[in-house]
Amino acid sequence: MIETFIDGPLWYFSLAVFSIGVVWQLAGIGFGKTKIDLSVPRDSAASGAVKTLFSRFIPDKHMAPQINVQVVAGYMFHLGLFALLFFAAPHVSFLEEEFLGFGWTPMPHWAFIVASQFAFLGLIMLWLRRILNLVSRLISTLDDHIAAILTFVVMLTGCLTLLEGFTALRLLHRFSVELLLIYFPFSCLMHTFTFIPSRVFTGAWFGRRGVGS
Amino acid sequence: MVNRDINRIIGFPAKRVSTLIILLFLLLPQFSFAVENEKYEGVLVINPGSELWRDIRQRDNSLEGTSQIKGVDNHILINSQGDRWARFRVNELVSYGTVALVAITLVLLLFYMIRGKLGVEGGLSGRMVHRFTDYERIVHWTLALVFLFLAITGLTLLLGRTFLIPILGQEIFSLLASASKEGHNLMGPIFIVSLFMMLFSFVKRNIYEKGDLTWLLKGGGLIGKSHVTGGFFNMGEKTWYWMVILVGLVISASGVILVSPNFGQGRIIMELSHVIHVGGAVILIAVSIGHMYLGSVGSEGSLEGMKTGYVDISWVEAHHDRWAKECHENDMIITAENYAKLQGKTAADASELANAMTEQGK
Repeated sequence: MIETFIDGPLWYFSLAVFSIGVVWQLAGIGFGKTKIDLSVPRDSAASGAVKTLFSRFIPDKHMAPQINVQVVAGYMFHLGLFALLFFAAPHVSFLEEEFLGFGWTPMPHWAFIVASQFAFLGLIMLWLRRILNLVSRLISTLDDHIAAILTFVVMLTGCLTLLEGFTALRLLHRFSVELLLIYFPFSCLMHTFTFIPSRVFTGAWFGRRGVGS
Repeated sequence: MVNRDINRIIGFPAKRVSTLIILLFLLLPQFSFAVENEKYEGVLVINPGSELWRDIRQRDNSLEGTSQIKGVDNHILINSQGDRWARFRVNELVSYGTVALVAITLVLLLFYMIRGKLGVEGGLSGRMVHRFTDYERIVHWTLALVFLFLAITGLTLLLGRTFLIPILGQEIFSLLASASKEGHNLMGPIFIVSLFMMLFSFVKRNIYEKGDLTWLLKGGGLIGKSHVTGGFFNMGEKTWYWMVILVGLVISASGVILVSPNFGQGRIIMELSHVIHVGGAVILIAVSIGHMYLGSVGSEGSLEGMKTGYVDISWVEAHHDRWAKECHENDMIITAENYAKLQGKTAADASELANAMTEQGK
C-alpha cells in the first residue's frame, strides 16, 4: 500500500511540484520588471557578466582567510553531490529507465564511496560553520537549516540503501527525495538554478557602471 | 490353615530362589557389557570418517589442502579459530561491552546525584575570554557527530542480536543492521579524516607539561578540597585528547583492515582486527560518555567554550589557572556587555544579560 503510494502518486506529485515550481520561480525572475538604467554605460555589461560569473568560483583574496573552511567544504560538498546525483550507478539506470531512455557510464563503486564521503564531510562542516560562526548563525534562516538537513537525510538514506536488498530502505530514500523535491522550489535550494543568472545580472550591472566586482 | 502349612513347607526355598533370580537379572547386563567390551577391544581400524573430520577441522595439526581457487586461506575448509572468535564475540565482547557501558552510565548518574553539577566557586562572572576558533569548534563537532553516528551503528551491530531482536523482531532488525553496516562503513573514513584534523588542530596545546602530574594526583579536584592547577588544557583534557587520537588511530587501522578484505589479510588477522576494533571502540565510547557528561550537565560553564568559542574567566580560573594568568596579563578578557553584543544581542539585551550574569556570580 505505502510502497504503491510512494512509488506512484507521491512521486508524480513531487515531480510536478518541483518542475512547475522551478519554472514558475525562474519565469518570475526572468520576466520580472527591472528598472531601466538610463545612465551612459562606462564599460561593457557583457564582459562584466562573464568576469563575475567565473571570478566567483575563487574566493576574494581579502576574504580568503575567514572563509577558507566554507570554500573547501563547499567545493567538497557540491562536487561530491554532483558526482553522486549524475554518476552513481543506481541513479544512471534510474534516469535511463524513467526519463531519458539512454544512459552513460557510471562511476565505479570505489568512486561512489569517495564522492559520498566528500559530500558528507563537506555538508557536515558547512552546516556546523553555519551554526557555530557568529555572523553565519545570525544571517541564517530556518529555511537554510531545513534545506541542509533535508539534503543530508536524502544522502544518508541513499547510502544506507546501497546494498539494495531491502525495499523499506529504498522507499525511505525515495520518500526523502520526494520531500526534497516538494520543498525545493520554495527554498534556498533554488540557488542550484539561480546562481548563474544571479552572477550574470550582478556582473552586468556593475560592469556597465565600470565597477570591478 | 492349609495356606500357612504350604508356606511353611515351601516358603524358605521359594524365597531363596526368587532372591537368586533377582540377582541374576541385576547382574546380567554387567556380564553382557563385559562381553561386548571384550569383543571390540581387539579392533584396530579407526573410523576413517572421524579421522577425515579431525583433519578438516584441523584440530591436531595444520593440514595444508589444495584448491583450484587461488587466494588467502582458500585451502582451509573449516577454520576452527573462527568458532573460537565467534564464541568470544558473543560471550565476552558483548557481555563485557554491555557491562562497561552500563557501569559508566550508572557511575555518572550516581556521581551527579551525590555531587550535582560542579559549580565554579563564587559563580560565573559574565566576563569572557576567547578560547576556541570557529575552525577548532567545527573540527571538534565534526568528529563528535561522526563518532556518535559510528557508535550508534556499531553498537547496533554488536549488541543488536542480543538486545534489539527481542524488541524489534528479526525482520526489522535485519533491515536496521544492513543500514547500520552500510552507514558505518561509509562514515568510517570520514572519522579518520576528522581525527587527523583534530590531531593537527590541537596537538600543540596538548603536550604534557610541568604541573600536569599534580592534577592527576589530586584526581582533577575530585580528591581533597585543594585547588588543582591547569594550563590551557588540564591533564584530564590532555589525556582524553591523546586517548581519542591513539585509540582512534587503532580503531581506524583495524576498521580499514575489516572493510577491505581484498588486500590479502587472512581470517585470523580479520578476527583479531575485529576484537581490537570492538574493544577500542567500547573503551572510547565509555570514556566519551564521561567527556560528554563533564562537558555539559556535569560542569558549569564548560559547554560555552565549544558552543560560542568563549568561556567565563571565573571558569578559567577554577579549571585552568595557569592560562587564566596569561589571560589577565595579555588583557584578553571582555566585559559581559561586549560579549552579549558579540553574540548578536541588542545593547539593552546585552546590559540585561550582563546584570543577570553578575548577579549570578554574587
